[in-house]
Amino acid sequence: MPPAITADRLSKTFKVKVRDPGLKGALRALLKPRYRDVHAVRDVTFAIEPGEIVGFLGPNGAGKTTTLKMLAGLLYPTSGRVAVAGFAPWGGGPAFKRRIALVLGNRQQLVWDLPPEETFQLNRAIYDIAEPDYRERLAELVALLDLGDLLQKPVRQLSLGERMKCELAAALLHRPPILFLDEPTLGLDVTAQEAIRRFLTQYRERYGATVLLTSHYMQDVTALASRVLIINRGRLLYDGALAALVARISRTKRIELVLADGVTREVLAGFGDVKEFRFPNAVLEVPREDAATTSARLLAALPVADLSIEDPPIEDVIRAAFAGGIELDEP
Amino acid sequence: MGQWEDEFILDCGLRIADWRWRVEVQGNVRGSKRSLTIRNPQSAIRILAALWRLNLAEELQYRANFVASVLGTFFWIGTALLTLAVFFSHATRLGGWDYWEVVVLLGVFNALTGVIEAVLRPGIGRLAGEVRNGGLDLVLAKPVDAQAFVSFRRLDIWRLSDVVLGLTLAGYALHRLGHTPSLAQLAAFALALASAAVVVYALWVALMSLAFWFVSVENLSVLFDAVYEGARYPVSAYPEALRFLFVYLIPIAWTTTIPASALTGRLRPEIGLAAALVAGTALALSRLVWRAALKRYTGASG
Repeated sequence: MPPAITADRLSKTFKVKVRDPGLKGALRALLKPRYRDVHAVRDVTFAIEPGEIVGFLGPNGAGKTTTLKMLAGLLYPTSGRVAVAGFAPWGGGPAFKRRIALVLGNRQQLVWDLPPEETFQLNRAIYDIAEPDYRERLAELVALLDLGDLLQKPVRQLSLGERMKCELAAALLHRPPILFLDEPTLGLDVTAQEAIRRFLTQYRERYGATVLLTSHYMQDVTALASRVLIINRGRLLYDGALAALVARISRTKRIELVLADGVTREVLAGFGDVKEFRFPNAVLEVPREDAATTSARLLAALPVADLSIEDPPIEDVIRAAFAGGIELDEP
Repeated sequence: MGQWEDEFILDCGLRIADWRWRVEVQGNVRGSKRSLTIRNPQSAIRILAALWRLNLAEELQYRANFVASVLGTFFWIGTALLTLAVFFSHATRLGGWDYWEVVVLLGVFNALTGVIEAVLRPGIGRLAGEVRNGGLDLVLAKPVDAQAFVSFRRLDIWRLSDVVLGLTLAGYALHRLGHTPSLAQLAAFALALASAAVVVYALWVALMSLAFWFVSVENLSVLFDAVYEGARYPVSAYPEALRFLFVYLIPIAWTTTIPASALTGRLRPEIGLAAALVAGTALALSRLVWRAALKRYTGASG
């Protein structure tokens, strides 16, 4: 089976007008505009197999959304090659668009003043879904997303989480095999985030859909994706398993302790870097290779009730990777 | 008007444009199979019906809009007639047209204004803002022809009262002229009027496409309004240079002067065919502009 998505040396360059501040700058920009090339995406190459869920990570402005929009055929690539479901997305036409869904956390397709079902009906017409299929799929989505009586309420009366669930339903009525999700949990509370994650997992299991998602919330990525693409300043830095990434770039381990009486922060500091101290709980950070010996010393020297060795939170690892500009070799 | 017109546009015009596009891009775009979504008129009608049904559901909540719209039209026509009356109290002809002939033209102008306000301004008129804030993203992700979808997604049904009132005014003026149009003249008028709507549409598409180049343009429709004001009077009333401009470059002469002339018998019925040709060309050109513009879409950054 050929890959569902391939990108080959994909690049997108935007021309951006440069403007000095102030009235003088505005006048100069008007009379003699200067442009600067912004390389939003540079030579990005990857392949995603059918049925994979891949997380797209990177700080704001890294090029995640631009890449996603090129894959969805919204933006015209400056250079390079893209294929999604066997189509060149730009100019893939309706046949291509029927195979994808695009959900953007900060855009909405639901009509504000009307109940979500009205928008669903519109999509039914747009995607030419037969009435029995529509009924069946809607019932399924209502059950999976727990939409209940939301369908008859005007969209403006729905909460953010309810709205996003309905957005997902609207985007998936045509049952696309490929999903592009840009920040699908943006601004949602923890319960709503979990509901959406659960739904995406179920949807993929049922239909073998390929999912590429970006998110700020690391939980989205750790819960859903076994593989991540990390992009920064338009370049792909890492492509592979999340766990392998952590092992490779985090030089430390966390020792989480539950202490008995009489241990102070100062005493602990002798064993490593104290990250948290809220008696009786404490977290110590030590070099990766010293984790075992330090643990043994701790157990011998202090009244320890409980001890566990963990990898640092993925957020911290990724942040360190971006901040330090650590070079990540392709696996 | 309405669906017939849409189909006409979608089916004939876009095909020409699409064919040209194909010739143009050969070897240019890698492995892209260009195809028009709304090639199948049935699917176009189905989507339009669903869109407009949605609109109607929204609009029916505001019945006052209808009253306001009709009152506004009466007021506008009243003012326009008054202006004409003032002019004709000093002169007997305007660009070689007498009073009731100009009123026929005014009726046509008002009917087209109805189409603009009912369909174009609330639809493609919002494009500039959507290019800036990325609102176009979700339209582009759908298996529809983006141009057709953006253009005809809304129908502010109350504003169609302008079409009815405009045509009524034209009919009344015709009666005052003592002219009963022949069947050929009526047919030419119908064709010229449909073509006029197409030309106006093409002008909007071309103008709105500029938003892709000049993202910061605040309100492109103002530019259209300024130019379209010129269509309120017969083109023969303008100096030579302007006349040339309005006939050949910014073809607003074809929007009011030609249909009115076809109806009053000032021009021979064959002009209807010429109008259709102009409309087809304008539409094809606007399609090319749109295609080129879409490639420049950047979305709102994020």
